[in-house]
Amino acid sequence: MGPDFYIPMRLNEVDDSLQKEIKENLGVDLEMCLECGKCSGGCSNGQSFDYTPRKIVQLVKFNDEETLLSMDALWICLSCQLCLDRCPSGIDLPRLLDYLRAKAYRKGLRASRPQVQLFYELMLSSVRKIGRVSEFPVILQFNWKTGQYLKDAHLGLTMFLKGKLSFLSPHVKEKEKVRRLFNGSPVESRGNNR
Amino acid sequence: MNCAYYPGCSAHALAREYDRSARLVCQRLGIHLTEVQDWNCCGATAAHSLDHELAVSLCARNLAIINRMSLDRVTTPCAGCFNRLKSVSFELKNAATLKAKIEQAIDAPLDRLPEIVHLLQLLVQDIGPEGLAKHVVKPLRGLKLAAYYGCLITRPHKVVAFDDPEQPSSMDRILEVLGAQTVKWSHKAECCGGGFAASETSIVLDLSGQVLEAARQAGAEAIVVACPMCQANLDTRQEAVEKGRGTRYNLPIVYFTQLLGLAYGYPSGRMGLRRLIVSPLPLLKKKGLI
Repeated sequence: MGPDFYIPMRLNEVDDSLQKEIKENLGVDLEMCLECGKCSGGCSNGQSFDYTPRKIVQLVKFNDEETLLSMDALWICLSCQLCLDRCPSGIDLPRLLDYLRAKAYRKGLRASRPQVQLFYELMLSSVRKIGRVSEFPVILQFNWKTGQYLKDAHLGLTMFLKGKLSFLSPHVKEKEKVRRLFNGSPVESRGNNR
Repeated sequence: MNCAYYPGCSAHALAREYDRSARLVCQRLGIHLTEVQDWNCCGATAAHSLDHELAVSLCARNLAIINRMSLDRVTTPCAGCFNRLKSVSFELKNAATLKAKIEQAIDAPLDRLPEIVHLLQLLVQDIGPEGLAKHVVKPLRGLKLAAYYGCLITRPHKVVAFDDPEQPSSMDRILEVLGAQTVKWSHKAECCGGGFAASETSIVLDLSGQVLEAARQAGAEAIVVACPMCQANLDTRQEAVEKGRGTRYNLPIVYFTQLLGLAYGYPSGRMGLRRLIVSPLPLLKKKGLI
Protein backbone atom coordinates (compact mmCIF):
# COMPACT_ATOMS: atom_id res chain seq x y z
CA MET A 1 0.00 0.00 0.00
CA GLY A 2 1.12 3.51 -0.75
CA PRO A 3 0.74 6.45 1.58
CA ASP A 4 -2.60 7.71 2.77
CA PHE A 5 -3.30 10.90 0.85
CA TYR A 6 -6.11 11.92 3.10
CA ILE A 7 -4.21 12.30 6.34
CA PRO A 8 -2.89 15.87 6.63
CA MET A 9 0.85 15.87 6.63
CA ARG A 10 3.41 18.48 7.51
CA LEU A 11 5.53 18.60 4.40
CA ASN A 12 8.18 20.68 6.13
CA GLU A 13 8.88 17.65 8.32
CA VAL A 14 9.44 15.38 5.33
CA ASP A 15 12.76 14.80 3.62
CA ASP A 16 12.62 16.69 0.30
CA SER A 17 15.67 15.17 -1.35
CA LEU A 18 13.79 13.63 -4.29
CA GLN A 19 12.00 16.89 -5.02
CA LYS A 20 15.39 18.67 -5.01
CA GLU A 21 16.95 15.98 -7.22
CA ILE A 22 14.14 16.43 -9.75
CA LYS A 23 14.52 20.19 -9.75
CA GLU A 24 18.27 19.97 -10.23
CA ASN A 25 18.29 17.26 -12.90
CA LEU A 26 15.21 18.19 -14.89
CA GLY A 27 14.50 21.81 -14.04
CA VAL A 28 11.02 20.62 -13.04
CA ASP A 29 9.97 22.63 -10.00
CA LEU A 30 7.16 20.93 -8.10
CA GLU A 31 6.94 23.90 -5.69
CA MET A 32 5.05 25.51 -8.56
CA CYS A 33 2.22 22.95 -8.30
CA LEU A 34 -1.06 24.73 -7.45
CA GLU A 35 -2.75 21.42 -6.60
CA CYS A 36 -5.55 22.23 -9.05
CA GLY A 37 -5.72 18.66 -10.40
CA LYS A 38 -6.09 19.60 -14.07
CA CYS A 39 -3.35 17.07 -14.88
CA SER A 40 -5.39 14.23 -13.42
CA GLY A 41 -8.66 15.48 -14.85
CA GLY A 42 -7.23 15.56 -18.37
CA CYS A 43 -4.98 12.48 -18.24
CA SER A 44 -5.76 10.35 -21.33
CA ASN A 45 -5.23 7.09 -19.49
CA GLY A 46 -5.87 8.30 -15.94
CA GLN A 47 -8.75 5.91 -15.39
CA SER A 48 -6.21 3.06 -15.48
CA PHE A 49 -3.50 4.71 -13.37
CA ASP A 50 -2.84 3.47 -9.83
CA TYR A 51 -1.56 6.96 -9.01
CA THR A 52 -2.95 9.80 -11.09
CA PRO A 53 -0.61 12.68 -12.05
CA ARG A 54 -1.76 14.87 -9.17
CA LYS A 55 -0.98 12.07 -6.73
CA ILE A 56 2.39 11.47 -8.36
CA VAL A 57 3.37 15.06 -7.53
CA GLN A 58 2.30 14.44 -3.97
CA LEU A 59 4.32 11.21 -3.80
CA VAL A 60 7.42 13.20 -4.75
CA LYS A 61 6.63 15.63 -1.95
CA PHE A 62 6.27 12.65 0.41
CA ASN A 63 9.71 11.56 -0.85
CA ASP A 64 8.23 8.12 -1.50
CA GLU A 65 10.68 6.91 -4.13
CA GLU A 66 9.82 3.27 -3.56
CA THR A 67 6.20 3.76 -4.61
CA LEU A 68 7.17 6.07 -7.46
CA LEU A 69 9.61 3.63 -9.02
CA SER A 70 7.27 0.66 -8.79
CA MET A 71 3.92 2.27 -9.66
CA ASP A 72 1.94 0.98 -12.62
CA ALA A 73 1.37 4.50 -14.00
CA LEU A 74 5.02 4.62 -15.14
CA TRP A 75 4.40 1.91 -17.74
CA ILE A 76 0.99 2.96 -19.03
CA CYS A 77 1.59 6.70 -19.42
CA LEU A 78 0.95 7.41 -23.11
CA SER A 79 3.26 10.45 -23.27
CA CYS A 80 0.32 12.33 -24.78
CA GLN A 81 1.50 15.60 -23.19
CA LEU A 82 -2.00 16.64 -22.08
CA CYS A 83 -1.05 17.13 -18.41
CA LEU A 84 1.85 19.38 -19.40
CA ASP A 85 -0.26 21.54 -21.68
CA ARG A 86 -3.06 21.91 -19.17
CA CYS A 87 -0.85 22.66 -16.16
CA PRO A 88 -1.20 26.37 -15.27
CA SER A 89 2.37 26.27 -13.98
CA GLY A 90 3.77 24.42 -17.00
CA ILE A 91 5.11 21.54 -14.91
CA ASP A 92 6.59 18.93 -17.23
CA LEU A 93 5.04 15.77 -15.80
CA PRO A 94 5.75 13.59 -18.87
CA ARG A 95 9.43 14.38 -18.41
CA LEU A 96 9.16 13.56 -14.70
CA LEU A 97 7.61 10.18 -15.52
CA ASP A 98 10.34 9.50 -18.10
CA TYR A 99 12.92 10.28 -15.44
CA LEU A 100 11.37 7.97 -12.84
CA ARG A 101 10.87 5.15 -15.37
CA ALA A 102 14.46 5.45 -16.58
CA LYS A 103 15.65 5.39 -12.98
CA ALA A 104 13.64 2.25 -12.22
CA TYR A 105 14.94 0.67 -15.42
CA ARG A 106 18.55 1.52 -14.64
CA LYS A 107 18.17 0.00 -11.17
CA GLY A 108 16.87 -3.18 -12.79
CA LEU A 109 13.54 -3.05 -10.97
CA ARG A 110 10.80 -5.29 -12.34
CA ALA A 111 8.33 -3.29 -14.42
CA SER A 112 4.67 -3.64 -13.46
CA ARG A 113 4.00 -4.22 -17.18
CA PRO A 114 7.00 -6.25 -18.40
CA GLN A 115 5.49 -6.53 -21.87
CA VAL A 116 5.56 -2.72 -22.29
CA GLN A 117 9.23 -2.64 -21.31
CA LEU A 118 9.93 -5.60 -23.62
CA PHE A 119 8.28 -3.86 -26.57
CA TYR A 120 10.37 -0.71 -26.00
CA GLU A 121 13.51 -2.85 -25.78
CA LEU A 122 12.74 -4.73 -28.98
CA MET A 123 12.13 -1.48 -30.85
CA LEU A 124 15.42 -0.08 -29.61
CA SER A 125 17.21 -3.32 -30.37
CA SER A 126 16.11 -2.88 -34.00
CA VAL A 127 17.40 0.71 -33.98
CA ARG A 128 20.69 -0.47 -32.53
CA LYS A 129 21.08 -3.19 -35.15
CA ILE A 130 19.92 -1.46 -38.34
CA GLY A 131 19.45 2.17 -37.33
CA ARG A 132 15.69 2.00 -37.85
CA VAL A 133 12.61 0.21 -36.58
CA SER A 134 11.50 -2.67 -38.73
CA GLU A 135 7.95 -3.06 -37.45
CA PHE A 136 7.10 -6.55 -38.57
CA PRO A 137 10.13 -8.36 -37.09
CA VAL A 138 9.67 -6.38 -33.85
CA ILE A 139 6.06 -7.54 -33.54
CA LEU A 140 6.94 -11.15 -34.41
CA GLN A 141 9.68 -11.16 -31.75
CA PHE A 142 7.30 -9.59 -29.27
CA ASN A 143 4.63 -12.23 -29.83
CA TRP A 144 7.24 -14.97 -29.67
CA LYS A 145 8.82 -13.77 -26.43
CA THR A 146 5.49 -13.22 -24.73
CA GLY A 147 4.24 -16.65 -25.82
CA GLN A 148 1.31 -15.15 -27.74
CA TYR A 149 2.15 -16.99 -30.93
CA LEU A 150 -1.13 -16.25 -32.64
CA LYS A 151 -1.81 -12.75 -31.28
CA ASP A 152 -3.34 -10.67 -34.06
CA ALA A 153 -2.51 -13.38 -36.61
CA HIS A 154 -5.64 -12.66 -38.63
CA LEU A 155 -5.01 -8.90 -38.59
CA GLY A 156 -1.34 -9.54 -39.41
CA LEU A 157 -2.29 -11.54 -42.49
CA THR A 158 -4.63 -8.78 -43.72
CA MET A 159 -1.91 -6.19 -43.16
CA PHE A 160 0.70 -8.35 -44.86
CA LEU A 161 -1.50 -8.77 -47.92
CA LYS A 162 -2.00 -5.00 -48.03
CA GLY A 163 1.78 -4.54 -47.98
CA LYS A 164 1.66 -2.88 -44.57
CA LEU A 165 4.18 -5.26 -43.04
CA SER A 166 7.62 -5.69 -44.48
CA PHE A 167 10.53 -7.89 -43.48
CA LEU A 168 13.09 -5.80 -45.26
CA SER A 169 13.45 -2.25 -44.06
CA PRO A 170 16.34 -0.34 -45.59
CA HIS A 171 19.26 -0.20 -43.16
CA VAL A 172 21.20 2.89 -42.15
CA LYS A 173 24.60 2.86 -43.88
CA GLU A 174 26.56 4.27 -40.95
CA LYS A 175 25.26 1.59 -38.60
CA GLU A 176 28.34 1.82 -36.38
CA LYS A 177 27.70 5.50 -35.70
CA VAL A 178 24.16 4.78 -34.57
CA ARG A 179 25.27 1.77 -32.53
CA ARG A 180 27.83 3.92 -30.72
CA LEU A 181 25.01 6.08 -29.35
CA PHE A 182 23.92 3.06 -27.29
CA ASN A 183 27.30 2.81 -25.51
CA GLY A 184 26.81 2.97 -21.77
CA SER A 185 23.03 3.02 -22.08
CA PRO A 186 21.11 0.62 -19.82
CA VAL A 187 19.21 -0.29 -22.99
CA GLU A 188 22.40 -1.85 -24.34
CA SER A 189 23.26 -3.86 -21.24
CA ARG A 190 19.70 -4.96 -20.51
CA GLY A 191 17.97 -5.01 -23.86
CA ASN A 192 20.32 -6.18 -26.60
CA ASN A 193 20.31 -9.90 -25.99
CA ARG A 194 16.60 -10.27 -25.88
CA MET B 1 10.74 25.91 -52.03
CA ASN B 2 13.45 23.55 -50.73
CA CYS B 3 13.01 21.47 -47.61
CA ALA B 4 14.72 18.44 -46.09
CA TYR B 5 12.39 15.45 -45.74
CA TYR B 6 12.43 12.97 -42.86
CA PRO B 7 10.12 10.05 -43.75
CA GLY B 8 10.37 8.08 -40.49
CA CYS B 9 10.44 4.30 -40.12
CA SER B 10 6.76 3.71 -40.84
CA ALA B 11 7.18 5.16 -44.35
CA HIS B 12 8.73 1.90 -45.51
CA ALA B 13 5.78 -0.38 -44.89
CA LEU B 14 3.02 0.51 -42.44
CA ALA B 15 2.41 4.00 -43.83
CA ARG B 16 3.91 3.74 -47.31
CA GLU B 17 0.77 5.33 -48.78
CA TYR B 18 1.29 8.37 -46.53
CA ASP B 19 4.89 8.80 -47.67
CA ARG B 20 4.04 8.34 -51.37
CA SER B 21 1.03 10.65 -51.33
CA ALA B 22 2.98 13.28 -49.36
CA ARG B 23 5.80 13.28 -51.91
CA LEU B 24 3.41 13.55 -54.87
CA VAL B 25 1.37 16.35 -53.31
CA CYS B 26 4.54 18.32 -52.48
CA GLN B 27 5.74 17.87 -56.05
CA ARG B 28 2.46 19.31 -57.33
CA LEU B 29 2.81 22.26 -54.96
CA GLY B 30 6.36 23.02 -56.05
CA ILE B 31 7.94 21.95 -52.76
CA HIS B 32 11.26 20.30 -53.46
CA LEU B 33 11.86 17.61 -50.82
CA THR B 34 15.35 16.18 -50.26
CA GLU B 35 15.39 13.07 -48.10
CA VAL B 36 17.68 13.35 -45.08
CA GLN B 37 20.76 11.31 -46.03
CA ASP B 38 21.17 8.09 -44.09
CA TRP B 39 18.67 9.16 -41.44
CA ASN B 40 18.13 6.98 -38.38
CA CYS B 41 15.04 6.31 -36.27
CA CYS B 42 14.02 9.20 -34.00
CA GLY B 43 13.76 6.74 -31.10
CA ALA B 44 10.00 7.22 -30.82
CA THR B 45 8.35 6.64 -27.44
CA ALA B 46 10.67 3.72 -26.71
CA ALA B 47 13.88 5.76 -26.40
CA HIS B 48 12.63 8.62 -24.25
CA SER B 49 10.78 6.14 -22.06
CA LEU B 50 13.95 4.28 -21.08
CA ASP B 51 16.95 6.56 -21.64
CA HIS B 52 16.69 10.31 -22.09
CA GLU B 53 20.22 10.86 -23.40
CA LEU B 54 19.87 8.09 -25.96
CA ALA B 55 16.61 9.69 -27.16
CA VAL B 56 18.33 13.06 -27.54
CA SER B 57 21.37 11.68 -29.34
CA LEU B 58 19.31 9.64 -31.85
CA CYS B 59 17.47 12.79 -32.95
CA ALA B 60 20.57 14.95 -32.73
CA ARG B 61 22.40 12.79 -35.29
CA ASN B 62 19.60 13.50 -37.78
CA LEU B 63 19.63 17.23 -37.04
CA ALA B 64 23.41 17.36 -37.60
CA ILE B 65 23.02 15.57 -40.95
CA ILE B 66 20.42 18.14 -42.06
CA ASN B 67 22.91 20.87 -41.17
CA ARG B 68 25.56 19.24 -43.33
CA MET B 69 23.07 19.12 -46.21
CA SER B 70 22.90 22.94 -45.95
CA LEU B 71 19.14 22.92 -45.53
CA ASP B 72 17.71 25.10 -42.81
CA ARG B 73 14.37 23.34 -42.59
CA VAL B 74 13.09 19.80 -42.31
CA THR B 75 9.58 18.46 -42.64
CA THR B 76 8.16 15.09 -41.65
CA PRO B 77 4.71 13.58 -42.19
CA CYS B 78 4.90 11.62 -38.89
CA ALA B 79 3.56 13.31 -35.76
CA GLY B 80 5.79 11.14 -33.57
CA CYS B 81 9.01 11.96 -35.44
CA PHE B 82 8.00 15.62 -35.57
CA ASN B 83 7.45 15.74 -31.83
CA ARG B 84 10.73 13.98 -31.02
CA LEU B 85 12.86 16.09 -33.38
CA LYS B 86 11.20 19.27 -32.16
CA SER B 87 11.50 18.40 -28.46
CA VAL B 88 15.18 17.51 -28.83
CA SER B 89 15.90 20.69 -30.76
CA PHE B 90 14.11 22.69 -28.04
CA GLU B 91 16.14 21.03 -25.33
CA LEU B 92 19.47 21.43 -27.14
CA LYS B 93 18.83 25.16 -27.45
CA ASN B 94 18.15 25.45 -23.73
CA ALA B 95 20.60 23.04 -22.10
CA ALA B 96 24.25 23.87 -22.80
CA THR B 97 25.79 21.02 -20.76
CA LEU B 98 23.63 18.40 -22.43
CA LYS B 99 24.39 19.91 -25.86
CA ALA B 100 28.14 19.57 -25.30
CA LYS B 101 27.74 15.96 -24.20
CA ILE B 102 25.57 15.05 -27.18
CA GLU B 103 27.91 16.80 -29.64
CA GLN B 104 30.63 14.51 -28.36
CA ALA B 105 28.41 11.42 -28.69
CA ILE B 106 27.44 12.15 -32.29
CA ASP B 107 30.78 13.73 -33.16
CA ALA B 108 29.21 16.76 -34.85
CA PRO B 109 28.44 20.36 -33.89
CA LEU B 110 24.91 21.40 -32.98
CA ASP B 111 25.26 25.17 -32.89
CA ARG B 112 22.92 25.66 -35.79
CA LEU B 113 19.72 23.66 -35.72
CA PRO B 114 17.26 23.33 -38.60
CA GLU B 115 13.69 24.50 -38.21
CA ILE B 116 11.38 21.50 -37.80
CA VAL B 117 7.87 21.61 -39.28
CA HIS B 118 5.21 18.95 -39.55
CA LEU B 119 3.99 18.45 -43.13
CA LEU B 120 0.54 19.72 -42.15
CA GLN B 121 2.16 22.86 -40.76
CA LEU B 122 4.29 23.34 -43.88
CA LEU B 123 1.24 23.18 -46.15
CA VAL B 124 -0.96 25.41 -44.00
CA GLN B 125 1.66 28.02 -43.15
CA ASP B 126 3.76 28.17 -46.30
CA ILE B 127 1.34 27.33 -49.09
CA GLY B 128 -1.80 28.45 -47.23
CA PRO B 129 -5.40 27.41 -47.81
CA GLU B 130 -5.73 29.62 -50.92
CA GLY B 131 -2.52 28.23 -52.40
CA LEU B 132 -3.73 24.71 -51.71
CA ALA B 133 -7.12 25.46 -53.28
CA LYS B 134 -5.54 26.62 -56.55
CA HIS B 135 -4.59 23.08 -57.58
CA VAL B 136 -7.97 21.47 -56.91
CA VAL B 137 -9.40 19.87 -60.04
CA LYS B 138 -11.83 17.48 -58.36
CA PRO B 139 -13.52 19.07 -55.32
CA LEU B 140 -14.36 16.60 -52.55
CA ARG B 141 -17.98 17.72 -52.47
CA GLY B 142 -20.40 15.81 -50.31
CA LEU B 143 -17.81 14.27 -47.99
CA LYS B 144 -18.40 14.74 -44.25
CA LEU B 145 -15.05 14.38 -42.54
CA ALA B 146 -13.71 14.40 -38.98
CA ALA B 147 -10.26 16.01 -38.86
CA TYR B 148 -8.31 14.15 -36.18
CA TYR B 149 -5.06 15.65 -34.86
CA GLY B 150 -4.20 13.38 -31.95
CA CYS B 151 -1.57 14.42 -29.44
CA LEU B 152 1.83 15.07 -30.85
CA ILE B 153 1.28 17.56 -33.67
CA THR B 154 0.03 20.28 -31.32
CA ARG B 155 1.40 19.30 -27.90
CA PRO B 156 3.20 20.47 -25.87
CA HIS B 157 2.38 23.88 -27.23
CA LYS B 158 5.42 25.64 -25.75
CA VAL B 159 7.65 23.25 -27.73
CA VAL B 160 5.82 22.64 -31.02
CA ALA B 161 4.20 26.10 -31.23
CA PHE B 162 1.69 25.04 -33.87
CA ASP B 163 -2.09 25.38 -33.99
CA ASP B 164 -4.27 25.19 -30.88
CA PRO B 165 -3.59 22.22 -28.58
CA GLU B 166 -7.23 21.94 -27.45
CA GLN B 167 -9.17 23.01 -30.56
CA PRO B 168 -6.86 22.63 -33.55
CA SER B 169 -8.24 23.76 -36.91
CA SER B 170 -5.46 23.69 -39.53
CA MET B 171 -6.49 20.37 -41.08
CA ASP B 172 -10.16 21.41 -41.08
CA ARG B 173 -9.20 24.45 -43.15
CA ILE B 174 -7.34 22.30 -45.68
CA LEU B 175 -10.25 19.86 -46.03
CA GLU B 176 -12.70 22.73 -46.44
CA VAL B 177 -10.76 24.34 -49.31
CA LEU B 178 -10.74 20.91 -50.97
CA GLY B 179 -14.53 21.17 -50.99
CA ALA B 180 -15.30 18.73 -48.16
CA GLN B 181 -17.39 19.45 -45.10
CA THR B 182 -15.81 18.99 -41.65
CA VAL B 183 -17.76 18.05 -38.55
CA LYS B 184 -17.56 19.71 -35.16
CA TRP B 185 -16.55 17.05 -32.70
CA SER B 186 -15.16 16.46 -29.24
CA HIS B 187 -12.18 14.17 -29.84
CA LYS B 188 -9.97 16.10 -32.30
CA ALA B 189 -7.02 16.17 -29.95
CA GLU B 190 -7.68 13.14 -27.74
CA CYS B 191 -5.18 10.27 -27.63
CA CYS B 192 -5.64 7.10 -29.75
CA GLY B 193 -3.49 4.97 -27.44
CA GLY B 194 -0.20 5.70 -29.19
CA GLY B 195 2.45 3.00 -29.26
CA PHE B 196 0.57 0.48 -27.12
CA ALA B 197 -1.15 -1.40 -29.96
CA ALA B 198 0.97 -4.52 -29.45
CA SER B 199 1.98 -4.31 -25.78
CA GLU B 200 -1.23 -3.05 -24.13
CA THR B 201 -3.85 -3.64 -26.81
CA SER B 202 -6.79 -3.04 -24.45
CA ILE B 203 -5.71 0.59 -23.87
CA VAL B 204 -5.74 1.21 -27.62
CA LEU B 205 -9.14 -0.47 -27.99
CA ASP B 206 -10.51 1.75 -25.22
CA LEU B 207 -9.08 5.08 -26.41
CA SER B 208 -9.39 4.51 -30.16
CA GLY B 209 -12.92 3.24 -29.49
CA GLN B 210 -13.82 6.54 -27.85
CA VAL B 211 -12.44 8.47 -30.84
CA LEU B 212 -14.37 6.32 -33.33
CA GLU B 213 -17.58 6.66 -31.31
CA ALA B 214 -17.22 10.46 -31.09
CA ALA B 215 -16.67 10.69 -34.86
CA ARG B 216 -19.72 8.52 -35.51
CA GLN B 217 -21.88 10.64 -33.20
CA ALA B 218 -20.76 13.78 -35.01
CA GLY B 219 -21.96 12.26 -38.30
CA ALA B 220 -18.56 11.85 -39.94
CA GLU B 221 -18.22 9.48 -42.88
CA ALA B 222 -14.45 9.17 -42.50
CA ILE B 223 -11.67 10.31 -40.15
CA VAL B 224 -8.73 12.21 -41.59
CA VAL B 225 -5.31 11.87 -39.94
CA ALA B 226 -1.78 13.26 -40.12
CA CYS B 227 0.06 10.56 -38.15
CA PRO B 228 0.90 6.91 -39.01
CA MET B 229 0.31 5.79 -35.43
CA CYS B 230 -3.17 7.35 -35.23
CA GLN B 231 -3.99 5.83 -38.62
CA ALA B 232 -2.80 2.35 -37.63
CA ASN B 233 -4.65 2.32 -34.31
CA LEU B 234 -7.97 3.60 -35.64
CA ASP B 235 -7.83 1.50 -38.81
CA THR B 236 -6.29 -1.83 -37.83
CA ARG B 237 -8.07 -2.03 -34.46
CA GLN B 238 -11.45 -0.88 -35.73
CA GLU B 239 -12.84 -4.38 -36.21
CA ALA B 240 -11.90 -5.34 -32.63
CA VAL B 241 -13.39 -2.09 -31.32
CA GLU B 242 -16.61 -2.85 -33.21
CA LYS B 243 -16.79 -6.30 -31.63
CA GLY B 244 -16.12 -4.94 -28.16
CA ARG B 245 -18.64 -2.13 -28.39
CA GLY B 246 -21.21 -3.96 -30.48
CA THR B 247 -21.38 -1.03 -32.89
CA ARG B 248 -20.51 -1.02 -36.57
CA TYR B 249 -18.42 2.04 -37.44
CA ASN B 250 -17.06 1.32 -40.91
CA LEU B 251 -15.13 4.60 -40.78
CA PRO B 252 -12.24 4.80 -43.26
CA ILE B 253 -9.12 6.38 -41.70
CA VAL B 254 -7.54 8.43 -44.48
CA TYR B 255 -4.33 10.49 -44.56
CA PHE B 256 -4.90 14.16 -45.37
CA THR B 257 -2.30 13.89 -48.15
CA GLN B 258 -4.35 11.14 -49.83
CA LEU B 259 -7.35 13.46 -49.99
CA LEU B 260 -5.23 16.35 -51.25
CA GLY B 261 -3.91 14.10 -54.01
CA LEU B 262 -7.39 12.90 -54.91
CA ALA B 263 -8.65 16.49 -55.16
CA TYR B 264 -5.59 17.33 -57.26
CA GLY B 265 -6.62 14.69 -59.79
CA TYR B 266 -4.22 11.85 -58.94
CA PRO B 267 -5.81 8.43 -59.51
CA SER B 268 -6.85 6.64 -56.32
CA GLY B 269 -4.27 3.90 -56.98
CA ARG B 270 -1.36 6.32 -56.76
CA MET B 271 -2.71 7.63 -53.48
CA GLY B 272 -2.64 4.10 -52.05
CA LEU B 273 -6.29 4.18 -50.99
CA ARG B 274 -6.55 0.42 -51.45
CA ARG B 275 -3.94 -0.12 -48.75
CA LEU B 276 -6.23 1.05 -45.95
CA ILE B 277 -7.86 -1.75 -43.95
CA VAL B 278 -11.31 -0.12 -43.74
CA SER B 279 -11.74 0.64 -47.42
CA PRO B 280 -12.63 4.22 -48.35
CA LEU B 281 -13.46 3.13 -51.91
CA PRO B 282 -17.22 2.47 -51.47
CA LEU B 283 -17.68 5.89 -49.85
CA LEU B 284 -15.67 7.67 -52.54
CA LYS B 285 -17.56 5.83 -55.29
CA LYS B 286 -20.89 6.77 -53.72
CA LYS B 287 -19.84 10.43 -53.80
CA GLY B 288 -18.66 10.13 -57.38
CA LEU B 289 -15.06 10.93 -56.47
CA ILE B 290 -13.47 7.84 -58.03
